Amino acid sequence: MNWPVAQLTLRLLLNQKRTVLLAVLALVPVLLAAVFRWGSFEEHPADWASNRLMAQIIVAALLPLAALIFGTAALGSEIDDGTAVYLLAKPIPRWRVVVSKLVVAWLVTVAFVLMATVVAGVLALAGEGHALVVVGFAVAVIAGALAYCTVFLALSVATSRAFLAGLVYVFIWEGLVTGLFEGTRVLSIREYTLGLAGWIASLSPKTFEPELAGGQSLVLLAIVCLVAGWVGVRLLQRFETGESS
Amino acid sequence: MSTAPAPAGGPAARAAIELVDVSRWYGNVVAVNEISFALGPGIAGLLGPNGAGKSTILHMLSGFLRPSAGTIRVLGQPVWKNPSVYREIGLVPEREALYPFLTAFEFVLLGARLHRLPDPEAAAARAIDMVDLRDAQHRAIGGYSKGMKQRVKVAAAIVHDPRILLLDEPFNGADPRQRLHLMDMLRTMAGEGRTIVFSSHILEEVERLAENVLVIIAGRLAAAGDFHTIRRLMTDRPHTFTVRSSDNRRLGAALIAQPSVFGVDLTDGLLTVRAADLAAFAFAAPRVAQTQGIRLFEVRPTDESLESVFSYLVRR
Amino acid sequence: MQSSPDLAAGNIYDLGYRRYQGARLGRRQAVLTIYLQSLRAAFGLGRRPAAKIVPVALVVLALFPAALRLGIAAATDQNIRIVEPANYYSYIQILLALFVAAQAPELVGRDLRNNTRPLYFSRAIRRSDYALAKLVALASAMLFMTALPQVVLYVGNAFAGSHVWPEMRDSAPDLPRIAVSAVALSLFMAAVSLAVAAQTSRRAFAAGGIIALFVFSGTVGGVLVEAGSALWNRLGILISLYDVMRGATFWIFATDPEPESQLGRADLPGPLYAALLAALASLALVLLLRRYMRFRP
Repeated sequence: MNWPVAQLTLRLLLNQKRTVLLAVLALVPVLLAAVFRWGSFEEHPADWASNRLMAQIIVAALLPLAALIFGTAALGSEIDDGTAVYLLAKPIPRWRVVVSKLVVAWLVTVAFVLMATVVAGVLALAGEGHALVVVGFAVAVIAGALAYCTVFLALSVATSRAFLAGLVYVFIWEGLVTGLFEGTRVLSIREYTLGLAGWIASLSPKTFEPELAGGQSLVLLAIVCLVAGWVGVRLLQRFETGESS
Repeated sequence: MSTAPAPAGGPAARAAIELVDVSRWYGNVVAVNEISFALGPGIAGLLGPNGAGKSTILHMLSGFLRPSAGTIRVLGQPVWKNPSVYREIGLVPEREALYPFLTAFEFVLLGARLHRLPDPEAAAARAIDMVDLRDAQHRAIGGYSKGMKQRVKVAAAIVHDPRILLLDEPFNGADPRQRLHLMDMLRTMAGEGRTIVFSSHILEEVERLAENVLVIIAGRLAAAGDFHTIRRLMTDRPHTFTVRSSDNRRLGAALIAQPSVFGVDLTDGLLTVRAADLAAFAFAAPRVAQTQGIRLFEVRPTDESLESVFSYLVRR
Repeated sequence: MQSSPDLAAGNIYDLGYRRYQGARLGRRQAVLTIYLQSLRAAFGLGRRPAAKIVPVALVVLALFPAALRLGIAAATDQNIRIVEPANYYSYIQILLALFVAAQAPELVGRDLRNNTRPLYFSRAIRRSDYALAKLVALASAMLFMTALPQVVLYVGNAFAGSHVWPEMRDSAPDLPRIAVSAVALSLFMAAVSLAVAAQTSRRAFAAGGIIALFVFSGTVGGVLVEAGSALWNRLGILISLYDVMRGATFWIFATDPEPESQLGRADLPGPLYAALLAALASLALVLLLRRYMRFRP
């Protein structure tokens, strides 16, 4: 970690527009949970909370979007406008820059997503038991956010169109292709996150059944973080400024 | 300044900046073509038209482009993939973008912290004073004018007191007063034994500031060295002088007899002399005038400006 | 250096600059030009090759379901009705959303980023002309995503069997439905995405906002309607832009949704979706126009 870099990144990421956008997005699952609690839903709370609220809204939509927004901006926005030079022309090993940026992007993502997970989860499940559902998804979201942020950060060093590439990955690959071809699920951070959540929540397969086993998910998550992190550092060590256009 | 190989010995004995046969290409486009030079303390100006490769050279010097061939050493160390060398390098990039939400002081302080200076606040304050920005230092950079942003960039580049200072088009957007201030500052820093390299396509800037000139044309080093030395080296090109004297007609007749002079032109009472050898002519002219009893009021080279040298080089 | 004949005389030379004396084509031509240039930009024509990849790839992917059905028909000699015109858009809804998310910022974001709006507004066009030309251009581009696959499917179906003309005649009523639904969905998605994209010059924010709007609203609507059968659960589907589009399409095709699908569970009257689609498109259009009417250089 490098504190000045981390501080700067935090101020960079939490500008007004981004914060408002993320706050609105994070509010969606909370509102839904409130509607579930005080409305007339027929589904079983644990069923609904894990399959709908957590899996569909938080893990499949909120988590990747938040990670995409923060992960690609943490270093990518500076590479885009040329200010990255002010960080890179300093006697700091580049891996420290990557790690500092990554940790901040990750923590900011987690702050929004975890808040939504815990508040919405407690709202939906309070008094129903199944506290492990909230714990499971909370832990899974923290781990998933790290994997997503690492991948998107590395992507933002590799290409200036990282945001679009990330959108395609999340919505075409994870949203469409993995639904059509089961084998591709081992290459989906969403599935790792769900696998880890199901493992910790230890629900009966009838209630919630992720595609991947917990241990497998954890190993794959770790591999993704390490590989993407290593790629990101390598790319930044060989960072070249474009022609000054 | 020399294009000869650097003297042998330890890193300390080497030139501050050393390029040996450096080339850089993008795909099929050669941006920089086998350039070699070595620079010691002082101010060197990279001069050339837009797109000649000045920025590419500065980017390679600052470790933000990998040379496709050749070696670059700054203070005896490679710069590519070697962040520790930035301890001694200050860089002023061309792009204007800065963090709009930081104040000038915060931005310079950030630089000081990233350099792990022992007293970052004092270093930042000193750098801000040097660029004369104290009055505006607590305002956000987003509201700054072009010239002020330029000064913030310079302050951030000198906060760690580097031995090497690289500036890409540093006078863009500066008004004449700021330009003079920055020139003075760079001269002072060069006087302290630092090596300063700046790029410019404006001849007047290079001529006024740089002791050494590196003329880059189409990615190649067209000329290097002291401006006047370059001029003298180009003996295949006549030097032209306008002369004012008490009797131009008689002086012209006498001068044409000199071996160093091969052309005299007298139009509307204005005497123009073309000489092949600068030094020989400078030596001969007063003597001829004296023996002829003519008073010499003025001998002025008509084309000693960098502009003429430059346009000559470009046309060659 | 040019050879100057007489510097002392102080001449001003006639370099042959000429005034334009011909007819000026006026507002209509100007709007048409913006429309055509924007339509080209929507497919990255006249831009660098990388800008063409995403729009062209999405158009190709949008043809995939049609190709799939025709491929099966060719392989099995049977016209198995797996991909119907009424639900074609549902199969490619994420592609439709990605197309507008990628290209709407391309049409309006550049002018915001480079501050070139004053250049347009100082010409013979009104501000609303600019916004409308962009809207129609993006909607026209979207027809390649909506109408083109439907037409391919229609023609392909006819030629897949041996009875070309009877087949064409039998499914002829689909043609006006395809046209109306494709135009309606294209205009709707173009209006919504441009209204979002015009709010920010940052391409990433615009693209993210558009995708978030479609995907998030779709998920939330789905979750609400799946969870119960109370009226407000059923009304929850109206949050989902995807389902509003789907409901309007089914109404246009006069088809009933599957009872187990989200639309079937919601069981709301078809005109409601169509009315909401029109209302939302109008709202987006108002937002878009307001953004340009209120602009001060």
